[in-house]
Amino acid sequence: MIERFIQIVKTDAPGAEEASATRERLKGGFPPGAARRMTQLGMLIGSVLGAMEPTAADAVVYLSEFGESRALESFLESFPGASPTLFQTSIHPSGVQQGLIGRQRSVPELFPFAGAGGIVGQALLAALLSPAQRVLFCGGEERGSRLRELGVASERTFAFALALTREAAPGVAGRLVLSPDDNVVSKLSLSEWFGILDQRRDYRGPLVDGFSLQLTWGPT
Amino acid sequence: MPFLADQVPVRVVDCGCVTPLGDAAKTCAALLRGERALQRIPVAGGEGGDRVPMAMLPGRALDETSPPAWGAVVKKLFAPVSGPAWGTARRPIFITSSNFGVGSLYAYRKTGDAGHLTYGTPFACADWLRREQGWGDNFSIFSHACVSSHLGLVQAARMVAAGLAEQALVVAFDFISPFVAGGFHALKILNADFPSPYMNRATGSIGLGDGAAYAVLAREGGDFKILGQSLHNEMYHFTANQPDGAGFDACLAPLAEKAKSQGLRLWLKGHGTGTLEAGRLESTRLAEAFPGAPLVGWKGSLGHTLGSCGLVELALAIAAFRAGRTPGTVGSATPTFAPAVALEPFSNREFDAVLCSSNAFGGAHAGLLLAHD
Repeated sequence: MIERFIQIVKTDAPGAEEASATRERLKGGFPPGAARRMTQLGMLIGSVLGAMEPTAADAVVYLSEFGESRALESFLESFPGASPTLFQTSIHPSGVQQGLIGRQRSVPELFPFAGAGGIVGQALLAALLSPAQRVLFCGGEERGSRLRELGVASERTFAFALALTREAAPGVAGRLVLSPDDNVVSKLSLSEWFGILDQRRDYRGPLVDGFSLQLTWGPT
Repeated sequence: MPFLADQVPVRVVDCGCVTPLGDAAKTCAALLRGERALQRIPVAGGEGGDRVPMAMLPGRALDETSPPAWGAVVKKLFAPVSGPAWGTARRPIFITSSNFGVGSLYAYRKTGDAGHLTYGTPFACADWLRREQGWGDNFSIFSHACVSSHLGLVQAARMVAAGLAEQALVVAFDFISPFVAGGFHALKILNADFPSPYMNRATGSIGLGDGAAYAVLAREGGDFKILGQSLHNEMYHFTANQPDGAGFDACLAPLAEKAKSQGLRLWLKGHGTGTLEAGRLESTRLAEAFPGAPLVGWKGSLGHTLGSCGLVELALAIAAFRAGRTPGTVGSATPTFAPAVALEPFSNREFDAVLCSSNAFGGAHAGLLLAHD
């Protein structure tokens, strides 16, 4: 059994909000000039992560199935005169790097997960095995446009971040417990995980092959 | 609370790679002979463009095919670790790459062939690979540009050390395409010149290369032991390092301390892409952290194999230990940024360990200290 405490949680589910509206809504949280170059996913992740007030001692675990799909679309369209800016922005894990670079916030460990399937469980294992005293566990997606129509970008836009600690501090928001369980072969999806966080629902069930998860909200 | 994964030694019990020069042993032998796999190839493949240094698997064209032409090569490479015993709760897989199948999206845009979309996302590409190898579906996907495979090695080692996995399989692959070649060409670091890692010259340049590798980690077995791993992320700039080299120092310090405390005699396998400022910072900070240790880089021959480079070059470092000789920095020449840059092969029989380091966009740094029994 591995236990961690949720000290802070932040979610953002802006529905079908356009990237320009997201930028306008969130730009105040970034240094002047930084927001202009950020993508929608970069703004969203940077915003929820910013609420955790990252420090140079924190580890960061980031998960996104599709990552920077809009920058990827634009980079593909920039050929034959490929855009260097769009190239670097389209590379995973630009979504989490944009906000951290904008704030000049170094971190010792950054574990960027991509993909689907067991991504939540695998990423939680990385967070819980990190030697850092505090791990910022964040992720999200931006709704794609042309790539979405082809089934290779996200349908939804959302972002989340949790500050996970080894000890419960005053004001603790919740508790996570991972338990080895050889009977578990199913996987908690990123979409289900976001719903649990966004609605602050308790959860007890499968996480990923070999592990179950218990998540409870409120003071422990 | 003590952290088990940094205290329990984890061993590399199997490891292999493939490059345009062959498997690990053949590639190591070719590097020892000073062979260069890079050739000048049109940056846009069949559509032409500037000719830039790229190292392709024999017979593979730059233009992506459906299914990817590299599939057969990785299937052969991963054959020793294929089958349903992998990808389970106790034997997880860590699939790492920078590009996965993103070149297929470029190919779709060019050709309109919807078959390319089958490999276009990291998950789709990794899941296809998994099914081809007969693996179970318990796998993680890491994508962190050119330190991707190092992250797989870190997390795999932690799972093994914590007793949560009996063994862990880390795989890494990156195959170049017009998509990635166009990106680096746009950044102007992929140009007509061949790379000369750590050489102090007027213009920097990189090459790109195909590469894939795997490693099996466990608590017991094999004759190589991971003594430590270290990570750091500067978050200073997307494509530049902190000018004072502090990011390199932060990553190297714990490994240097471990090497010093154990009195290890080390050689260094650096990142060494051929860019100037990163090469200068890397070689000088390594020289400061590991005084007197010879430094080599192999991307002047193999090109930069991107997210797979950490594991590909780890497999080559192991092959070099087995051969008793370490290849020099192929493609480079004097003057170098640091005197410890080894341009020629040398005997490694008197060395205990190797430090393998990689760097990536965002000022990401990764290092792995590997000791030979």
